[in-house]
Amino acid sequence: MLPDEILSQLNSEFPCRDTQIRQLAALYSAHLPSPSLLVAHGLTATGKSALIKCYLSDSGLPHAIVNSKECITGRHLLERTMAACLDARDKHGSVGETKTKIDRRPYARTESLNTLVVSLGKLMGEWEGEDGMKGGKFVLVFDGIDAQREAPATLIPALARFGELIPNLSIILITTLPLTHSLHKPGVPHLHFPPYPRTSLLEILNTFPPKIFLSPPDADKFPDYTPDLSAEDDAWLWNRFLGAVWESLSKHTGRDLVSFRNTSMRIWREFVRPVVDGTFGTRDFSRLMVNRRHLFQLEDSVLDRIISRDAEASKTNGEILPATPKIVKKAPGLQHDLPYYTTYLLIAAYLASYNPSRTDITYFMKHTDKRKNRRRTGPTKASATKARKISRHLLTPSPFPLDRLLAVFRSLIDGDVPQVADLLTQISTLCSMRLLVKSGGMGSSDVLGEGGRWRVGFGWEFVRGLGRSVGIEVGEYLVGGVDV
Amino acid sequence: MEHQRCYIYAPPELAERSPKRQRTSEGNPQKLLRERMQTYREIWSHQEEKIQATLEEADIVTQEKIVKFVSAASQPEHEHSLAIPTGLVVVGPSIASHGPFFERLGRRIKEDTNSANFVLTSGESPNLKTFLKNLIKKATSRVEDDDDDDLRPSTSSKNGPKLLDFDLGHLQEWQNRNRVQNIVVTIQDSEAFDSSLLAEIVDLFYSWLDRLPFVLLFGIATSAESFEERLSGKSLRYLEGQEFDVTQSSETVEKLFSTTVASTDIPLRIGPNLSRRILERQRDHVQNVQDFSDGLKYAYMSHFYANHTSIFLQKGLSFKDVPEDVFDAVRTLPSFRRWIENLLGDRDTQQARKLLESDEFLFTNTVQQVQAGQNILSGLSGACMVLVRLRKSLQMTPHAPISSIWTRAASGDLAGAPLLRETMLLVKKISSDKFLQLLTSMEELDASAFSSSFTVDLDEYRQKLDELVTANDTSAPLRTQHDVRNDSLRTTVVAQKVLLSKHKAALSEHDKAYSELVTRFHDEMENYFVGAITNPNELLFSEILIYDLKSPHTEVFQPKPRFAIERALASPHDYLGCDCCVAGAGEDGQVSFSGTQPPTAILYQMYLESGAIINVSDLWSAFNAILGTQVEDSDTKTMALFQRSLAELRYLGFIKPSKKKTDHIAKTMWKGL
Repeated sequence: MLPDEILSQLNSEFPCRDTQIRQLAALYSAHLPSPSLLVAHGLTATGKSALIKCYLSDSGLPHAIVNSKECITGRHLLERTMAACLDARDKHGSVGETKTKIDRRPYARTESLNTLVVSLGKLMGEWEGEDGMKGGKFVLVFDGIDAQREAPATLIPALARFGELIPNLSIILITTLPLTHSLHKPGVPHLHFPPYPRTSLLEILNTFPPKIFLSPPDADKFPDYTPDLSAEDDAWLWNRFLGAVWESLSKHTGRDLVSFRNTSMRIWREFVRPVVDGTFGTRDFSRLMVNRRHLFQLEDSVLDRIISRDAEASKTNGEILPATPKIVKKAPGLQHDLPYYTTYLLIAAYLASYNPSRTDITYFMKHTDKRKNRRRTGPTKASATKARKISRHLLTPSPFPLDRLLAVFRSLIDGDVPQVADLLTQISTLCSMRLLVKSGGMGSSDVLGEGGRWRVGFGWEFVRGLGRSVGIEVGEYLVGGVDV
Repeated sequence: MEHQRCYIYAPPELAERSPKRQRTSEGNPQKLLRERMQTYREIWSHQEEKIQATLEEADIVTQEKIVKFVSAASQPEHEHSLAIPTGLVVVGPSIASHGPFFERLGRRIKEDTNSANFVLTSGESPNLKTFLKNLIKKATSRVEDDDDDDLRPSTSSKNGPKLLDFDLGHLQEWQNRNRVQNIVVTIQDSEAFDSSLLAEIVDLFYSWLDRLPFVLLFGIATSAESFEERLSGKSLRYLEGQEFDVTQSSETVEKLFSTTVASTDIPLRIGPNLSRRILERQRDHVQNVQDFSDGLKYAYMSHFYANHTSIFLQKGLSFKDVPEDVFDAVRTLPSFRRWIENLLGDRDTQQARKLLESDEFLFTNTVQQVQAGQNILSGLSGACMVLVRLRKSLQMTPHAPISSIWTRAASGDLAGAPLLRETMLLVKKISSDKFLQLLTSMEELDASAFSSSFTVDLDEYRQKLDELVTANDTSAPLRTQHDVRNDSLRTTVVAQKVLLSKHKAALSEHDKAYSELVTRFHDEMENYFVGAITNPNELLFSEILIYDLKSPHTEVFQPKPRFAIERALASPHDYLGCDCCVAGAGEDGQVSFSGTQPPTAILYQMYLESGAIINVSDLWSAFNAILGTQVEDSDTKTMALFQRSLAELRYLGFIKPSKKKTDHIAKTMWKGL
């Protein structure tokens, strides 16, 4: 493809990235020399990887892209780099009489950076460009190299110097932040992909407006509502809708392209429902906004969730939401009931975690009746001004030894519980469900060690629900009381 | 002997014989063991089939949904989707049933869709590398089973760079050859996975999604919300899917109970005590289907292992197969003795003598009676099922599940119980529309098929009821004379006293006829219940038909390790059974120390009396006072014993060194927890 064609195509594919495309085209053309190292940096969803990948494949330059996400260790990265270069060599090198594939045997193992640089040097030395000359250009892209797992400390500085050792290799590092210090090399060209401003975001998302009507309206009833008209309406409403979403939600929560698009798509169907129902016309934007204002008031649409809202909405199908629905938040909990004693064990664990052990006598000794006398119902006003205390249940849980948990458990339960192994089994089950967490302390590596300490892995709402399911008001046993 | 590496230990021979009781006669307890085992296997295999069928049926709806989800994940509309299809399977807090559930699910996924399924657990995946290695191993080794080794692409070093063994490229190669629709990766216990590992897995799979059609299934014990809370927004963005809720295990256990214990066609039943214990354990400690069937299996095994007479449960048993010992055993059974006594009471000495003397006569009688007993027990189970149906269609509260009704019936509490009476009273008052439902539900149950004593002719009732209903010209349903709506209360004031009197409203002709019909139904049902509900404990040969021993079950399934250690240390006499330590028990039940007890036990009892921090020096002086010889120089031996005891206590985890005070140790365990 001619350079101009590439530019125009890329510009249509990646709107608002004109500068970056032109810089790339200037730096990496087939006939002009390229820099040995380029750092392309920018925040997430700014089109770095996609644009570079697209440009390189369109321009026909021999290249290889290594994605650090897919490399589990530093060694893995080296192996994959070598494999990718060999594959690219096979793909691009088959010009002229060198139809045969390259002999891969010398490149079988790439244990270290040294091996990589030697092997690459050898490979690039034999490289023949499109014109049959030795030493054709080769671009090697490391995508997300800053997030490489188990990377050796020398990885990035070494990669930065590859170009000095291998003349026809140019490396592009794609990172989130500019690599200024970690390269240990001055004068490296950086290509910045700035986050899209509002106008660009709107322009990009306006390219493909979603439809208002999933199935076109009845052709008999509305004979003059042509597809063209419909597309025009879609674009009109979508544009205004995007503006509203940006101002009310995305500006403050997720400014990047993907978050903005996800948020908009999540509430779009709900937003246009009155239009589909026929309550409002397609151009009644202001009335639609007033009618659907609750969509812009709730946080649901900006949160990422696995279970999509459509699936949930279909469950409550037919129900008409009020204009400002109550925020119904499910308390975190179990979907299934726990066995009786397990519930008590969890409550006991919570109390052991949140009550200081010196208060146990007041709260759990059965023969004293001090509990009623000594229970504080929150700090008095005078003491509150002196020292502001954070309510206990808002703090992190503190660790406790296992016997304390069992002691609290037995004092909570009326009657006798035999000392069966089932109790211990339950503790280990809860542990594997991460409701009880083994935490530090001496000998914590040994499961049976005497110094093992535990913590709870759940919060106040959860334990309150548990307590109510077995008829215990947990707040009564909590030191300092709970204001909720 | 220190210079030898190993030696044969020759225990000193004691002149006396061990005090343990020994068998004097040459009886062979293992007689017929093979036959009994055979019988056990036959009977248990039926039960196991039932259990499997129940389990399959219990989660078939959920599994079908998941299978549908998996096969839908590869539909073209999903191809461009920007997220990994994810199923959140809420399996519930019984961890042990996760494995079998996912195994069944995996089988179904493979059968019903063209997908590969790999189950991975937290134990196999401490980190990302091992996780991937295991995944690849599972994928590729499975292929080796059907493919030839030669067909595998040679990735050896001869041909250039070799893929590292955790590279998903292996999976890609595998996919190129197998072309499965989806690669379903099941993460069985998602809670036990590190959150960061989960995030890495999601990240990696997402980046491979354009080459490998992944579908993720997460097994969740708590809830889908708490699972989502553990992942970051970035990972959540890569996932998209549905939630699947598996049937609560308590419901499954209830179903299992009704098919394996309270069903009608079961030769051997577990008794009320044992079933109550198993059910209580399910409710209080573990909710686990696996455990229930294990308990049942163990009960069956114990019955056939320890009970000679259980051979009579074998079908087609002939007299020749049964040795004499068994008849002796039968004659010792309490229920047999009761029978003989009853025969003597009836002056039927002929038969009693014959039973006691002739093995052959006893054999035929036993076989008959066992068969009869089985029929009676089936009748009892049938009655329980009918009762549950009745209560369900009458919509009575409290909801009594079949397990509780059956347990009560088996312990002989149901005959004349308020539960039954109340139900029958409600039957009397039933209105015609509900009666119709009741009949339908009873027809569904088809009680006469499994219980010969169920003689109520439902068809006839239905016919008559239909006639009455069609004859009824009002829209209101027909009511019986016992219905409260037919009563009216009349108040009369006589000499300043209020008299309340009940009056029956005049019944219409139809209502009268209907009342008669219902009364007859009620009477027949009552007769049926009276006939069917008997006390199984009084049944002849109930020892053969019912297994109700608690202790083997408790010892095997509910051991008390901590209690055992504490008891052994606190009162060693219980275990040692020697004469010397008995004297240690004081008059008021308080155990006082005696020098004859093991030193560790003495130290432990002192430990029990002290506070949270113990001064070792005090402990030593107390110890020395009991075990010491009061001679100044011979402390060394006592000190050695003391130190060894202390070390043993530490080894058991009772004490640990304390930094709070010098020369003190901290107590870490309290007795009785």
